[in-house]
Formats: sequence, structure tokens, C-alpha cells
Amino acid sequence: MRAFNAELSKLFSLPGIWLAFLIGAIAPAVIAALDSIAEKEEIIAGVSTRLSEVGYIGLVLGVQGVIILGVLAVSSEYLTESSESGGGQQITTSLTVVSSRLHFLLAKAGAVTVISILLCIVAIMTTVSATHLVLGEYAPAFEWQRLIGAICYWTFTALLALGITLLTKNGIIPLAVLMINSSVVSFSVLLYRVTKLAVYLPDRAGAEMFMFTSDTFTGSLFVRYNTPFTGGLVMLAWVVVIFIAAAIVFHRRDVAA
Amino acid sequence: MLTINNLVKHRGNQEILSGISFKARPGRVTGFLGPNGAGKSSTLRILLGLDRATSGSALINGKPFAELHNPLATVGAALDGFGAHRMRTGRAHLRWIARAAGLSNSRVEEVLEIVGLTNAAGKRVGKYSLGMGRRLGMAAALLGDPKILILDEPVNGLDPEGIRWIRTFLRERAQSGNTVLLSSHLMGELAETVDDVVIIKHGTIVADGTLEEVIGNHSTLEEAFFTLTSEIAGAVV
Repeated sequence: MRAFNAELSKLFSLPGIWLAFLIGAIAPAVIAALDSIAEKEEIIAGVSTRLSEVGYIGLVLGVQGVIILGVLAVSSEYLTESSESGGGQQITTSLTVVSSRLHFLLAKAGAVTVISILLCIVAIMTTVSATHLVLGEYAPAFEWQRLIGAICYWTFTALLALGITLLTKNGIIPLAVLMINSSVVSFSVLLYRVTKLAVYLPDRAGAEMFMFTSDTFTGSLFVRYNTPFTGGLVMLAWVVVIFIAAAIVFHRRDVAA
Repeated sequence: MLTINNLVKHRGNQEILSGISFKARPGRVTGFLGPNGAGKSSTLRILLGLDRATSGSALINGKPFAELHNPLATVGAALDGFGAHRMRTGRAHLRWIARAAGLSNSRVEEVLEIVGLTNAAGKRVGKYSLGMGRRLGMAAALLGDPKILILDEPVNGLDPEGIRWIRTFLRERAQSGNTVLLSSHLMGELAETVDDVVIIKHGTIVADGTLEEVIGNHSTLEEAFFTLTSEIAGAVV
């Protein structure tokens, strides 16, 4: 519990985290509002094919906030100080304060999980408000099952970011790959064109928890493949596998290596 | 009490430590001396559970670091660099460490006062001078008021006033029964601070004893150090 408090304290005192909060809390609402404005006429006319996606699209992109959170939680430990100050890293302090590496890791994952859940709840509130503000009575009803799906999606994504960064010890590669993947080009969507197995990639499977509904009609790419529950389980399995791999590597690795 | 017993460390096909043994006793300041790259930092990192030994043991009060319950209350350590993220303030850095050990924020203010950083506590660590960073590292080591201190090159980068401060401070800690182990490659600064001396060279201990024993017939510790560490090189030349 002490280690968990320490991890929370570390995260909240890191300025970069506020960028994560800003993106996580505000971006989904902005995107949802823009999307609602664009779709408004069709929705009012009752001919929109994207009614079920309105709002949720913001939550898909807002996941970038927790990607920053997960990456930063680990990369800040390995950021090397300038050579004139001795080239130290915070990880040496962290591991001389908590003697068990597993405890350290669980505390970190716990802190990231809690912040991700809270951030996603804030994002849902801003997004739902923004959609209602723009669409008024035409705003789609948000189903709580799908919203819980979104919270799971955010949390699992943050933990994936944390696990991957623990393996690379450097934030730049995971940050670039994960952010591009969740905003510009989704590798799993591209891969889906090659093999249907791509639906089992973590982001695609995880999105099933809240993005695709049975009445989704946006061409072959976004056709529902798994049930939300199966999608969630597939993504969770990815999280567990990456986390175990990262824990084993972290446990064996010398700090000086 | 710190006990290093037949410690061996390989990294790749390089042998960093070839079976070293020594002790650091309570009530004494033990100086762990050697040229750069001799294996000092590796030994301290293994002692603190940061690196793994290939074989042998490094024990703190008879236990490996990983088995300590609340490490901060047993052993305080300051290794290379500041050990802090540059975007955090000095105070925020000490506060998260205090959380990890279940200590209050008022203890943070106390150690800031002890190391003389109170006025700079609100500044980002990235803006600290080398001397301030070392003081921050010392403050972190002192937070849990541990009976054992392990310091890697504590006087490196300190100004004369800082060096004097650390000397007096460490002497006082040892006199009240604490164990202090410090590594250094600076002989002059240390002769007045240490009680016991362990000299390491190429991963092997070449001298171990009280200050007087190690100085022996040489005029100063520095003299003894150079004779002991350059013997083999001298023979080759």
C-alpha cells in the first residue's frame, strides 16, 4: 500500500502527466462534439448510419491520454540525468526504497490502473455532455455496458503501454508506435485486410468492447467479430502476457545493464 | 554490519568482481577505495539489490537486500547521480520516497534542513548544481534515519564547504554507532574521514584493514593507495 501511495505521488508530481490528463479528459469531448456537428443533419433526418458510434469515436482517440500515462510511469524511471550530474536514474532510488521488484511493479500498475479508470470516467462525462450539448434530444442514449467497455479499453491500453515501456526502458518508441496506432493508422485494421486473425490483436479486440455494435454499418472493416466480452478477454490476455514477460525481464535485469 | 562474502560478478565475458570479501562494521566509517572502473559501484549496487551477483553474497545485517522489510529504515543509499527525475522539485522527490516508507511530510522538511536544501526544495531537480544534487541524494538516504549508510562517491562535485560538511556529518553518524560505507577514488579527502580502508583494483581486494594498518610504512593514505594499486602495472612496465 505504501509503494502504491508512492507511485501515485510520483505520477502526480510529474508535469508530463498533466498533458495526459488534458488529452484524456478534453480530447474525447472535442472530437465527439465535432463528430456530432458533422453528423447532426443526418441524425435529425434519421438517415445516419453512424448513430451508434457518435461520442464513442472520441473515447477511442482519447485513449492517447492513458498511453502517455502508462509510458511515462515507466520511462520517467529510466530517464538518464545529464552526464555532469553523474548520469543517474530514478530507478536506482525507486528500487532502494521498495525492496521487492514485484511489489514495485504491482504498485506502479495499480496506480496507472486507478488513474486510467478515473480519467476515463471524466472523459465519459465530458463526452456525453458534449454530445448532448450539440445534438440535444437527438443525442444517442449511452449504454452503460458500452461505457464500462470503454473504461476497460482505456485501462488495458494503459497497462499495455506500461508493460511495453518496461521492456524497452525508453518511452519514445512505445509512445510513437502506440499513439500512431491509435490515431493515424491502426496496424490491426491494415492487417485485417490481409488476415482475419488481426481481429485478435489487442486494440481491435479491445475496441469490440464498445465500438462495434450489431447494427454497425461502415463496410467490412468494422464488422463485429467477437462479442464485447470475448473482445475484452482477448485484450486482457494480451495485457497479462505482456505484463508477465515484462515482469520476468525486469526481475532479472541489472539496473546497470 | 555489511558483509561481502566471495562476491563474483560477470558481465558478458568480462569479470567485474573476482571473489571479493570484506566487512563494514558499526561505529566505523569504512572507505571503499579504488581507481575508476575497479568494481566499487558494482559492489555497492549488488549490496543494494540493484544488480545480481554471479556468485557469493552481499548481506545487510545478515540478510540480502531483497529480504529487508522496510529498507529505508535499515539502509540509506546515495549512488551515482541524483537519483531523481529532473522535472520534479526536490521536495516532491523526497515526498514520494517518504510515502514509500510510510513517513510524514514533516520528516521531509527535517532532512531538507539537515542537508541545507530547504531554500532550494521548491526548485526543479534539473536546475540543481552538482553539489545540490548530491545533498538531495543524501537527504533521501537519511529519510528513514537508517543505521547503515551506503554512499557512492559522496564528495564528488562538492565544494570545500560541502566536503567539510559531509566529513563531520559522517564522523558523527559513526560515533553514534552507525555503519557508514563510502566509496571514493579521491584519497586526500578521505584520509581524515575513514576508520577502516578497503582498496579494490581490477575487481580484487588489494588491502583491507584500519587506516593505520593500510597506511603502514607509507607517509600518507594516498601514497599507500598508489603503491598498492600500481604494483602490478609497475611490474609490467
